[in-house]
Amino acid sequence: MARSWRNFFRRSKEPEQESGSNIATEEQELEPQEELESEVDAPVGEVVEEEIEDEEFTTPEDIPGPVEEALEPEPEEEIAEPEAVPEPVEEDPELEVAGEESGGWFGRLRHGLKRSRESVVGQLNAAVAEFRDAEDEEFWERVEEILIASDVGVTTTAKLVGELEQEALEKNISSSRELREMMVEHARRMLEGPVELDVSHAPTVILMVGVNGTGKTTSIGKLVKYLPGRVMLAAGDTFRAAAIEQLQKWGEATGAPVVSRERGSDAAAVTHEAVEEAKREGVDILLVDTAGRLHTKTNLMAELEKVKRVLERQLPGAPHEVLLTVDATTGQNGLRQAKMFGEAVGVTGIILTKLDGTARGGIALAIANEVGVPIKLISVGEKVGDLHPFDAGEFAQALFGEL
Amino acid sequence: MFETLGERLNTALDGVRGSGNLTEDQVKKVTREIRLALLEADVNYGVVKEFVGKVRDRATGSEVSKALSPGQQVVKIVNEELAELMGGTSHKLTFASRPPTVVMLAGLNGHGKTTTAGKLALFARKLGKNPYLVACDTYRPAAIEQLQQIGRELNVPVYTEGTEPAPEDIAERGVKEAKADGYDFVIIDTAGRQVLDQDMMEELKRVRSLVKPHSVMLVLDVVTGQNAVEVAQAFQEYADFDGMVLTKLDGDARGGAALSVVSVTGRPVKFASEGEKMSEFDYFYPDRMAGRILGMGDVLTLIEKAEQQMDQQEAEAQGKKLMSGKFTFEDFLKQMQMIKKMGPLSSLMGMIPGLGKQLQNVQIDDRMLGRVEAMITSMTVAERRNPKLLQNPSRARRIARGSGATQQDVQKLVKQFGEMQKMMKQMGKGGGMPRIPGMPTR
Repeated sequence: MARSWRNFFRRSKEPEQESGSNIATEEQELEPQEELESEVDAPVGEVVEEEIEDEEFTTPEDIPGPVEEALEPEPEEEIAEPEAVPEPVEEDPELEVAGEESGGWFGRLRHGLKRSRESVVGQLNAAVAEFRDAEDEEFWERVEEILIASDVGVTTTAKLVGELEQEALEKNISSSRELREMMVEHARRMLEGPVELDVSHAPTVILMVGVNGTGKTTSIGKLVKYLPGRVMLAAGDTFRAAAIEQLQKWGEATGAPVVSRERGSDAAAVTHEAVEEAKREGVDILLVDTAGRLHTKTNLMAELEKVKRVLERQLPGAPHEVLLTVDATTGQNGLRQAKMFGEAVGVTGIILTKLDGTARGGIALAIANEVGVPIKLISVGEKVGDLHPFDAGEFAQALFGEL
Repeated sequence: MFETLGERLNTALDGVRGSGNLTEDQVKKVTREIRLALLEADVNYGVVKEFVGKVRDRATGSEVSKALSPGQQVVKIVNEELAELMGGTSHKLTFASRPPTVVMLAGLNGHGKTTTAGKLALFARKLGKNPYLVACDTYRPAAIEQLQQIGRELNVPVYTEGTEPAPEDIAERGVKEAKADGYDFVIIDTAGRQVLDQDMMEELKRVRSLVKPHSVMLVLDVVTGQNAVEVAQAFQEYADFDGMVLTKLDGDARGGAALSVVSVTGRPVKFASEGEKMSEFDYFYPDRMAGRILGMGDVLTLIEKAEQQMDQQEAEAQGKKLMSGKFTFEDFLKQMQMIKKMGPLSSLMGMIPGLGKQLQNVQIDDRMLGRVEAMITSMTVAERRNPKLLQNPSRARRIARGSGATQQDVQKLVKQFGEMQKMMKQMGKGGGMPRIPGMPTR
């Protein structure tokens, strides 16, 4: 049932035109970034020093190297790639099995949702089953209530229900089956975004960010298993007690080397070292863990921006993906998280974690609609096999489909 | 993104001024706004429904006070109901008559149990207890190391048996060990779990029944959404918690989940945890939470304080003067003294809706008020009434000497005051001034 991992990773560069436009958008993203930096930097006295530290990292000879690496060997690899292609196929059967054991993520999700008749989805089902007339105001109010009770939030709910009501009236829909299809379709459209993960660089750097306890390190541990090629981990959470050890344990379990320094060292320095190491070792993907931080803490967000700056200077184009973990049980604050992290470090995708069934994950709809960052991965349970590429259609189905 | 409830209610009740009862139509408008505000704050949908019903009953036919606008009046009702629901008083930590006191922590993954364990240990020590930590999270990689590191930091012993034994056995032996070693406050850290994971919930039940803790705390992240109700009910069923620790309060989540949980389980929030420092942990004060959920700081507290401290007529006269631009340093001093009676400026700023967020990272120096006061009191009556006199440098120098400020400080104050006068005059003409709670408008 789950969306396959097979096409999830973009492993080779897109044709000329595409990659050209990619660079353009990256530049556009960077510009406001600079503005933001200076705004943030000014009041924080410390940052001035840090800027100088940054310079240390960017020794002049660093720059030409990666540029060549990033641009030139790439097309060659595209050609050399085929031998690597079977790799994920090999991995896939194993993963399917892992999924099947628990009845598939979709099954589990549904099971969770079904568990109680009190569940909102149960209520939605009951409400939709009784739908006869699109002019029935009370019906739409009921749908509104149910969406809000799924953490979709007032604004997105109003938009979605408004659209649904209008279309139902226009098309004169009167059967619950048609209505349900329409709901799933609207939700799907709202949720749909570019899902695939860009791992086409050498090395590709993926930066993991998020609020404390949303599951960054755990997501890294799970993701390693699916990533194509050789993966290296960077223990950028130098703050929380035993965060480094936690990542090291994932490293042991997955065989991925972990670059770390002692607790309390500069996260940007660890990251810098890790990129050097990744280049030296010729690994394909570097996954950078960072400390959990509340998006309201200006100094910690500035630290994260610094980590990103160091990466950018060291390896132009990096980080190639910035993934934000959002706990699916989060309410409307998820919106703030997505916005603030987006503004600070340009989030390219969201990993929705702990989507176990009591959490409807309606915040995904709100984020997709109001912030516009695509959901790329979902994590349903605690096992490695519980991580899946996000499928807008199935997610919509799980939210609004028949049980 | 969020409008504060106070603003919303004022919009909804625009034009309703003076005395009289709220009409049915007004009450309807008002309850709709309250409903939306609570939903945006993540209060569970069912809880909102019940709550709004209560407010509706009280608001219908309630008399509109002369001192408050109808909007403020409703906010006051909402606030009182919220505060009551959250539990009127703050709950103190209690200890077993026969030590050790055993506290078990439970909760969803990532809500901050292990950090809370450390914080609670430090808190107990400050109360004269001798804390002891037991590591029962045998699942998450390095969870035990995390607790050990925290223990080392705080110099609190941590009991561990690795990840092999059953958590309930570790907990039982840990408590015994603590007792034998003379520790009187034991904190059991358990693994994070999802409530639909039957096995994990059963495990929690086993730990509880074997160890029989004196207190079980549900650790809840303040960002939790609508499912807080199901989560709390499950933890109540399996762990029968008697109180909550609300974590990550230093973020900007409204925290409606706290209200949901209290409302459906009847269990109070006992502790508030904010920040990454081990010392950032305290008893929970329900009245503060009500304002937070409504997104209006402690506007009610402000309203109350203003009601108490400001002489109504005096305030009205001041208001008129302010708008006419005839505002002098004498008036300024009077106002400042009234404001000072209401509490420290930094906390007052936090109480003003909309201002709280913007000023989150701004350091407000309460001594600033004192310095300004000193400068004004060093002025002659003539100078206070006619600030233009102060453009004379020798006068400014005299005031600087008298108040311990620099001449630049005095000149700056005079300049700012002049700008303020101009601004107020304009507002008085244009009428485009936002309502300030406790400040009469016509």
